[in-house]
Amino acid sequence: MIFSTTRHRNNTDAESLPVGYNSTILKEFVNTLEGKKEAQTLDVGPVCQENITFFALRMSRHYVCDMFLRLKREKHKELHPGNRWKHLDYPDRNFDGIQLWDLCDHLEEEDVSRLVALCYSMLRATGLLMLIAFEKKPSSSIVNTFVIGQGYRVDIRPQPHLELPWNFRHNRALTSLLSNFTIVRSFRYHSGIREFLFKKPGGFRD
Amino acid sequence: MLKRTKKDENNTPFSVGDTVEEKPTPSSLSPTVRQERDTSEEKTTIGERISIEGSIRGEANLVIEGAMKGTIEMGKHNFTIGPNGRVDGEIHAQDVSINGQFKGTIKALGKVAVTQKADFNGEIKAKSFSVEDGAYFKGVVELDRESHKNPAATETPRGPSSPETAKQSVTPPNDVKMEK
Repeated sequence: MIFSTTRHRNNTDAESLPVGYNSTILKEFVNTLEGKKEAQTLDVGPVCQENITFFALRMSRHYVCDMFLRLKREKHKELHPGNRWKHLDYPDRNFDGIQLWDLCDHLEEEDVSRLVALCYSMLRATGLLMLIAFEKKPSSSIVNTFVIGQGYRVDIRPQPHLELPWNFRHNRALTSLLSNFTIVRSFRYHSGIREFLFKKPGGFRD
Repeated sequence: MLKRTKKDENNTPFSVGDTVEEKPTPSSLSPTVRQERDTSEEKTTIGERISIEGSIRGEANLVIEGAMKGTIEMGKHNFTIGPNGRVDGEIHAQDVSINGQFKGTIKALGKVAVTQKADFNGEIKAKSFSVEDGAYFKGVVELDRESHKNPAATETPRGPSSPETAKQSVTPPNDVKMEK
């Protein structure tokens, strides 16, 4: 399968960061999960106090595994992609929701495929996967945290200690990578942020 | 400062804070100094070159700069892992501060704070929680919902993203829905 994914191929004009927006996808993600009994969620980082508190107060159990920091620490190591994801060692069908934020933007094709397959395994049937993708290259390769505030407002906080490569993917490439999921909703904001909400198929929750 | 109790040698935990150092009388100290002294006197530190395997019970605040494997029960006292400290086990305390390495479970009556230098891998049950950007964190967080009756009102983003930049936010009416 050929993807239209190239690092900065058509999007080399660096843009200053969008400063914040009210997230429709996040609201739907949270509202859906709050309706589930003893919902469990996973956040792949970067670690953010506001987000952890937000989800810990709304979900039965909120898991955090900061893959951004792991990727940064292992950036210069020649690791097999499988080893890179050993930190996500959670049981199958464990979560009702996973927040990937913009992790896919910082991964090569093989790693994205591996991550998506892991997410599929870790999610229960009807579980939700939320991801964000920038439409244009941010002005620096510093990773950002999407900080949840009041009324599902999301603000961006740069993480100077985290610098990772950035890859652009068209909507079609992203949805192709997540073809095992059903797309629930997607939004493109004027700030250039794209949000996607995917659902693991299934008649009822595992 | 540690003192071993005289019961069963294998099962008896260490007791922390039983020994009282000789100190100046409160009347000889200014209020500020006295307060600082009082705080420091209540704290027991296990140094960098000390390793403990077993259990610790305490009636004073405890700081671990060394290594500890086992159970730590501090009741209503605070527990801190220093920047070079390493703890593998279970912690019960009032407030817990993690500045070093931790693997295990924390049950805090108050707050758990994980600082930037920390490497945390475990489970937290607490009334409130804080973690600094840059900390390595892999874990599960369960917070006491009763003490956060209005969570939305208490969550204010920090850092450069707010509140000044909030004025420039992209508002929903401008958003374009792509697919459904």
